[in-house]
Amino acid sequence: MTEPAVRTAAETHGPRQVVRNPRWIGALIAVVGILLTGVASWTTARVDENSEERLLSQQTKQAAAVLSTAILLVEEPLSTALTLQKEGGPAAGSAAFTRFMTSYVGTGKPFVSASLWQRQGDGVVPLATTGVAPALAPSSAAAHAYVLRALDSKTTVTQRVSAGAQSRIAWAKADPKTGLAVYAERAIPADRRSPVDRNSAFASLHYAIYIGPHITDAALSTTDVDPASLPLGGTTARAAIPFGDTVLTLVTTPHAHLGSPLSRWLPLLILVCGLLLTLIATIAGLWLVRGRREAEQDASTITTLYEQVESLYGQQRDLFERLQRALLPHAHPDMPELEFASKYVAGAHGIEIGGDWFSVVALDEHRFAFVVGDVSGRGVDTVAVMAQARFTIRAYLLDGQQPAAALEKCSRQFDIATDGHLTTVIAGIGDVRTGEVTIANAGHPAPLLLNGDVRPVQAPPGRPLGTGPALYRQTTFHLSPGATMFCFTDGLVERRGEDIDVGLGRLATTLLEADGRSVDELVSYAVTTLRNPDASDDIAALAIRRVDVR
Amino acid sequence: MAAFVTTTSQDSAPVLAVSGDLDISGVDEFLAHADRLLALDADAIEVDLSGVTFIDSSGLGALVRLHNTAADAGRELRLTNVPRPVTRILELTGLTDLFAERPES
Repeated sequence: MTEPAVRTAAETHGPRQVVRNPRWIGALIAVVGILLTGVASWTTARVDENSEERLLSQQTKQAAAVLSTAILLVEEPLSTALTLQKEGGPAAGSAAFTRFMTSYVGTGKPFVSASLWQRQGDGVVPLATTGVAPALAPSSAAAHAYVLRALDSKTTVTQRVSAGAQSRIAWAKADPKTGLAVYAERAIPADRRSPVDRNSAFASLHYAIYIGPHITDAALSTTDVDPASLPLGGTTARAAIPFGDTVLTLVTTPHAHLGSPLSRWLPLLILVCGLLLTLIATIAGLWLVRGRREAEQDASTITTLYEQVESLYGQQRDLFERLQRALLPHAHPDMPELEFASKYVAGAHGIEIGGDWFSVVALDEHRFAFVVGDVSGRGVDTVAVMAQARFTIRAYLLDGQQPAAALEKCSRQFDIATDGHLTTVIAGIGDVRTGEVTIANAGHPAPLLLNGDVRPVQAPPGRPLGTGPALYRQTTFHLSPGATMFCFTDGLVERRGEDIDVGLGRLATTLLEADGRSVDELVSYAVTTLRNPDASDDIAALAIRRVDVR
Repeated sequence: MAAFVTTTSQDSAPVLAVSGDLDISGVDEFLAHADRLLALDADAIEVDLSGVTFIDSSGLGALVRLHNTAADAGRELRLTNVPRPVTRILELTGLTDLFAERPES
């Protein structure tokens, strides 16, 4: 007997463990989550930054355009005054100029001082002056040089000038044809602070405006921040605006987020949500992995239990089969005139075995008795009834009873009401000298005679053993030399959902196919061919061939 | 697996209708139903086999036990609407004449 192949849970569990330590899984999920979150957040931040730079650049361009317009507006009176003076001609004097400029010169007006000049020879002379004393006094060489510069220039000339503590911007616009020039000074606030510009173009910007291309404290014109904090830091944009014969340099930096609030907060939002999701995923991952591992352990335990149960069933089945085989004959009588072959096959399913049997015994030198039977049901008590039937019938036959008498006596000893089983039997005796065989049938399929053709022995069935006392008829037939009698149990022919006659026909065909082979081969072929691997019923087959000695 | 339906009425014998495979797995239930019908006050009980698709030796045994029990109690067991495959099995097993009522087909 084989030892049960009992395996412990640890043995089967170890090498098959797929899931690693949950902590590693958790760490992996966390790292991946943090990485993804970081990348997403950084990317969004970069996008926002780019968008901010683009917006700053756009807004700075707008601001520069606004500034450009403002410069034109400031210059406009100077141009107009020059045109007026020109149209008036040399005789008109400077009254028109003075009158016109009065509207533009004074406190709260664009200019603090303005003067009209006329080329005279290589130099210039002031014709009229209005407003406060200019930083460049009309009598000064600097003023003359400045106006001359304007006369030589095709554009307005601008310059920063100082009048005491006050910084001003000096403008000079000239008409080279008539030699007329207008000079004006515009004050720069002492603190350089200018609310320039409520204009929306400046709404989100800090700015500093420098005269000239260089960003120096000395060149600073106006700003909206504390001049001490200049130059502007952080992200800045710069624009150059033509200003007379020089440029104004506009430097800006955003003091508020230029893009949408979402764009600004998105990176942070993604970061927070991402980390939160990572945390949840990590916890969920740990939980799932633990659950999975527990399930695997459970499954492993169950598998082991199944294997053990299976093994125990196997042992039990093994035991029953050994018991049954012990009850079947190991050798057939040694009669030179006859060849015997037999086979028993247990049912396919379960541990329960059936109650099929066969038996052949020599009665004397020339006569033999044989029995094939089938006890209904399965299990060890079936085998017990089978053993009882087998030995009882054999005893009667050995005692010299005819088959019908043996079955009749048996019918009184078996009762389904007490032992729970029906038993069908073919019992027979034969004489090798004549080939005469006499059988009685207790509800069993009739044997088949095979001799070039195949036909059933006409043996009308009596009641099975177990139904109560019964009488049996005997049938005597002739077994010709070379002919084979084939006895079997219903397991060989019966299939669910199929008429029994179909199975009987299949058996007849199969036997014919194997006619001419040895009895051993005949039985093996029939059982192998007809056995349904899924059938639960067991099969017994016995073939007796009368040797053809001619 | 077999399924069972029992029908009782004042005027006729109680009927146990069997369908499916009457085999070793359904024998106990079959006999339990039959015992309940036998406990009724009727001269006969009827087993309607019209729905039986397969019967094995255990199923045959159950029919025989029911027959014997009924006979001991002075009751008649009638098998009705016996399908041909079952008729053939009854013939082959020598049980045809055991049952009072000849199987119909």
